[in-house]
Parts: sequence; structure tokens; C-alpha cells
Amino acid sequence: MRKMAAMNIDSGAARREDRNNALNPLVSLQNASLGYDLAPVLKNVGFDIYPGNLVGLAGPNGSGKTTLFRTILGFMPLLSGTLLRGCPLANFGYVPQSAVLDAQFPLSVGDIVEMGAYGRVNCLRLFPAQEKKKAFAVLERVGMAHVKKKSFFALSGGQKQRVLIARALMVDPKIMVLDEPLSGVDEESRCSISELFIHLTKKSGLAVFFSSHDLEMVQRVADKIIRIDQGKMWVEEQGARPS
Amino acid sequence: MNSILEMLSPSYLLFPALLGTLIMGLVCPMIGSYLVLRRMVFLGLTLPEIAAAGVAFTFWLQQTGVVPQLGQSERGIVMVGSLLFTFLGMGLLGYLEQRGKGLAEGRLAAAYALAGAGTILFMVFNPAGQIEVLNLLKGEVIALSRGELRLLAVVFGLVFLAIMVFRREFLLTSFDRDLAFLLKGRQVIWDVSLYLLAGLIIAFGVIMAGPLLIFGFLVLPALAAKPLAQSMSSYLIVSALFGLAMAFFGFYSSVRLDLPLGPTDVTLGCVLIFLAYALRQISPKRLVLLILPCFLFAFFACSAQPPGPPLPDAKSIHADQLWLAKVKNSTALPLLLPATNPLRSLAEMAGKISSDYRQSVMDLLRENLRVELEQRGFKVSLPEQADARFPAFSSADATAARVAREGNLAGAIFVSEIWRWEGETQKYVRALVDFKLVRVNDGAVLWERRVQRAIPTPSATNLGQASADAARELVRDLFAG
Repeated sequence: MRKMAAMNIDSGAARREDRNNALNPLVSLQNASLGYDLAPVLKNVGFDIYPGNLVGLAGPNGSGKTTLFRTILGFMPLLSGTLLRGCPLANFGYVPQSAVLDAQFPLSVGDIVEMGAYGRVNCLRLFPAQEKKKAFAVLERVGMAHVKKKSFFALSGGQKQRVLIARALMVDPKIMVLDEPLSGVDEESRCSISELFIHLTKKSGLAVFFSSHDLEMVQRVADKIIRIDQGKMWVEEQGARPS
Repeated sequence: MNSILEMLSPSYLLFPALLGTLIMGLVCPMIGSYLVLRRMVFLGLTLPEIAAAGVAFTFWLQQTGVVPQLGQSERGIVMVGSLLFTFLGMGLLGYLEQRGKGLAEGRLAAAYALAGAGTILFMVFNPAGQIEVLNLLKGEVIALSRGELRLLAVVFGLVFLAIMVFRREFLLTSFDRDLAFLLKGRQVIWDVSLYLLAGLIIAFGVIMAGPLLIFGFLVLPALAAKPLAQSMSSYLIVSALFGLAMAFFGFYSSVRLDLPLGPTDVTLGCVLIFLAYALRQISPKRLVLLILPCFLFAFFACSAQPPGPPLPDAKSIHADQLWLAKVKNSTALPLLLPATNPLRSLAEMAGKISSDYRQSVMDLLRENLRVELEQRGFKVSLPEQADARFPAFSSADATAARVAREGNLAGAIFVSEIWRWEGETQKYVRALVDFKLVRVNDGAVLWERRVQRAIPTPSATNLGQASADAARELVRDLFAG
């Protein structure tokens, strides 16, 4: 799968690659069964996510949203069916629920965001200045540059989510996968995070795939809604959103 | 002796031990920080136990003849056993953690129990080696030789380098395994590497400094640094600084007050934790302003050791005669020196002769005192020459004067009492001895001194020679002040 994203060496090839990327799905699941220890949680799952898509995954708690995400990200194996990824895993910007991160670690906001670059920084080198600049830039993009030196775990829920989105942006993602990014945050943060998703998909051409148990909120934000409930999945297309 | 500046001089006899402690104090907290953050503090207890099982196993193999007895190289062989067991244990624990099944604490507890049981069983199989095993596990950093220091520096230096080079990988794998997987693929190697580094410093450290000190260095500075750090780099730096402070001031207190190093350092580490939680309310600038004077005060307070009063000269105390009493042994140990004549030793073992013919530490000390006092112009006499029934005098001045008066002695009497005299290896002797010069007439104390310290005896080749060297050094020090 990682070979699928092999770098092209001339600009003509790069243009062809761009056109292909627009046509090829970043994630394609066909007739997939997902679950733990051979016990499927979701059966017969199939959908595609293309660059620029803003896809919401809606379903009640315990319906299998996190299982679907973890399978797409390769943390757990597919039980059956086909899963194709249109880019390397290193280009998946993953935003976990902030509650799963261990508050024991004394990490500043800067530390958290810089982690997004660890995949490309050689261990023998000091952290490059250009990566530091980039970390500052992504923090500015999510409106959190002013708290760079603050302790991550001292931030509010909404601020933490935005910092984790900045970390996901730091990996140079082609697709962002966000697990319940809008739960536990105030209304103002919800609006700003939703606007950020729309901006990322429409202006930057990223695909954004996020989950929520709040269907109403997903309907407000997403172009395409994947709904799961009681082991079944179906897709609802929304009207085109003005860019 | 023992101002801080004196201790920092490379010619200081305990300099290798001090340097070794500082190296451990710097490196252990950096590994310990990750153990604390990963909530695996119990690993710091389990690993030394696994290392101990390796030590006991190696001794048992030596007893069965599978591994040859190598005399002076014994420590090296035991080190290999300790390392092997630690690495095997680490590999297994790393593999089990990667599988992610069961409680981490449960796995560590089971490993701890198994290693403890193994250590005891291997010692039971090899009763002749029990003392050696216990001595090695006790660990005494004060006896660290320059060769061992070099080995320690190389091993801990490599570990330090590995932590610095792979700090990002260790952090990422410890904090967010999912992100680590996305960015770098499967991360088994970093878990195993961290365990191996921890195992390496513990396997070496336990034999050189004992399990208590190593566990203290691993965990306490890391716990103390936590409330003061807001980023990972500051956490590692503060942990290492706390480790160094704990090592240095613990070593200083241990040598100066003749306290065992492990418990002293651990107590200091716990004080640091309380201090850190108390100080976290203060802003960093104020903290620096507060800590700097405290540090300077501690430095100068430790540096200034007022010398004791010198022994008055013979004329000033108007004592024509100085009685040098037998040195009293209050240690509950016979303090007899080993016999030099093998035939007499055999006869003693066979019960043909008593051990009275052997010289004791008390004899050595008294002889050295006599020579020194005579060189200072005292006319020294021995109480038993006046009356053979005189016992060794207690250092309690009133009692000593009363017993002297009852025996019709006049003038002044010099009494000495040994409370502690331990030479576990030939490299140093820990001593606690009271000396008093008492006027017989009224029991007035004309001069007194308590000597409590570890006396290095680097050139001694056996315990008898170590005691002789220590007695000479102690008396020289006593009158030098």
C-alpha cells in the first residue's frame, strides 16, 4: 500500500499523479466485515472517500464507529472484504479523542504538535527549524499559536481538539480521520472546528472523515453521511455545500 | 576532612565512588522518567530482582562446576549472569506488553515474585555461596574501583547517548502508540529498546550500588520533577538535575555523617518530592531566586567543617602522668585480626589454643595512640602496669575517673571506646570511636573527640591490613586537627 504513494521524480508525472489522486479514492472499503477476535461488529461495509470529501460517520455509542476508524487506520485487521488506501498510512492525519491521551505526560502544546513531524525527522538530527516554523504555522491555522508553550492538559476540551487537529495537519495529511472531534466541546468551539473542516476540504483539497453520535450535528457539517447502527451501514448524500 | 571542594578533587580517595554515584544519578532518572510516565514504576523493583536471580544462578553454576571459579574476575562473571537474566526478562516483558493482554502490573508482579523465588531457590541449592550472593546484592558504591568506574562510565554513557538520540521515538511510543504506528509502523523495537536500556543500567547498577540506590535513582527524581515540568524536555532536564543533586548531597551526607548511602539518597529523594510539590506554586523566576541562595548556602555550609579542638599539650593540663587505658570494644564483635601463622590458626581451629594470642583492633589503636601521645611530650603509662586488674575503661568520663581513682591512679587518663568497626571489604573501614582525656581528680573532660567516618584503605590486601591501615589513619587524623 505504501508503494501506491511512491514519489514521482518529474513535474509532468506529478501532474498526472494529481489527476489520478483526484480520481482514485483515498479510502475504499468493499464488502468488509469489521470486528474483534473474528466476531464482526459491522458487516458488509462499503464506501469510498475521495480527496475533498467531508464525510461524517454517525451512529449511537457502541455502534462500531471507532472500530471502523481503527480498521481503516490499520490498528486492527479486516475480518473479510477489501480495504484499499490511496496513500501511505503516514499521510493519514488521525485525531483521537483527547480523553484517551494520558494526562500523566508533561507535554506542552508545542511538544504535541511537533510529534506530527516525528515520522520524517531523522533520530540523529536535532528537531529542524523549518519543522518548528511549520508547527507554529499549523497552530496559527487552528488559532492556537498563542498557547504553544502552555501545558496541553491544562487546555479546555475544544482547545485540545484544535491542538490535536494541528498535530494531524503537521503530518502533511491527504485525509484526516477524527474520532468524535466535537463531543465535549462548547458550541463556539464546535462552530470553529466545523468551519475548519469545511475550509480544509474546500480550500486545501483534503478529505475529512469524522465521527459523531450526534446525527443532527453531522447533517449540519458533512457532505456525505455514513450511518451505522445495529451492525448495518448505509450512506446518505447531502446537498452540495457552497464553497 | 571532606569539604565539598576536597571531594571534587580527583586525588580524593573516594572520588571514583563519587563520580560513579553522579553518573548513576544523571542517567537513571532519564530512564526512570519513561517508567514513571508509562506507569511502570514497579518495573524498577522487578528488574533488580530479576538481576538478583541471575547473580544467584551464576553462583550456583559456579558451585556445580559448569562455570569456572575465577577469583578476582568473579564480579565480571556475575555481571554476565545478571545481564543475561535481565535481558531475557526484559525481552519477555516487552513481548507480553506488545501483545497487550492482561494487566501490566500483574505481569510485573508475577515476574517479581518468580525472580524472588528463583533467587532464594538458587541460594538454597548453593549454601556455600549465600554470603557472596548477599554481599554482591547489597552493593557498596563506596568500594568502587577505578576499573569498575570506567566500565560504569562506558555502559551508562552509551545508555545516556541512546536516550538522547531516540528520545523522540521513546516519547512517541510511550505517549501515543496509534500515532507511532501511523508514522513509523510497528513499534516493538522501541518498547524492547527501552526495556533493554533499563535492564542494562539496573543489571550493572545493582551489582555496583545495590538495588535500593538504583531504584531510588530511577524513580524519585522523576517523581520530584513532575510537578515542575511543563514540557518533555524540561521534565528530562529537571529529572536529571534532581538525580545529580540527590547523588551529590546524598554522597556528601553519607561520607560526612557515616550514613549508608542507599537510605541517605532515598531519604533525600523523598524530601525533593515534597519540596517540588511545595514549590510548584511559585513562578519559575521566583523559583530560581529562591533555589540559588539555598544551593549556595548548602554548598558553603557543607564546605565549612570546623576542625575539632586540638589536644592540649602536656604542660597546659598539668598532668605529669597520662594513663592510656585499654580501648573498650562496644561493638559486640571480637574485632580480632586474622592470624598470620597458619600452624597457630590450625591449632586454634582444633581448639588446642585460644584466640587470645591474636592481635585485635583495640591493640592496634592503643599502640598508635601511645606513639602519637609520646611524640607530643606526654609521659604515657598503662594502667595495667600499676594494677593488672584494670579493665578497658568506658568513655563515660565520670565512670572512667571513678575507676581510676579507685585504682589509685592520678593525673589524667585517656580513654577510647569503639562503637563501630566494620571492614566489609579491604577497601575501606567504617568506624565510630569516642576518645576522651579525663582528669582523674574531678572527672573533668580536658579534651574529647568522636570520629565517625568511612576510612579508605586502598592499599590493603586483606581485612587485617585494612584494620591496621585504618587505625593508623584514624589516629593521625585525630591529632592532626
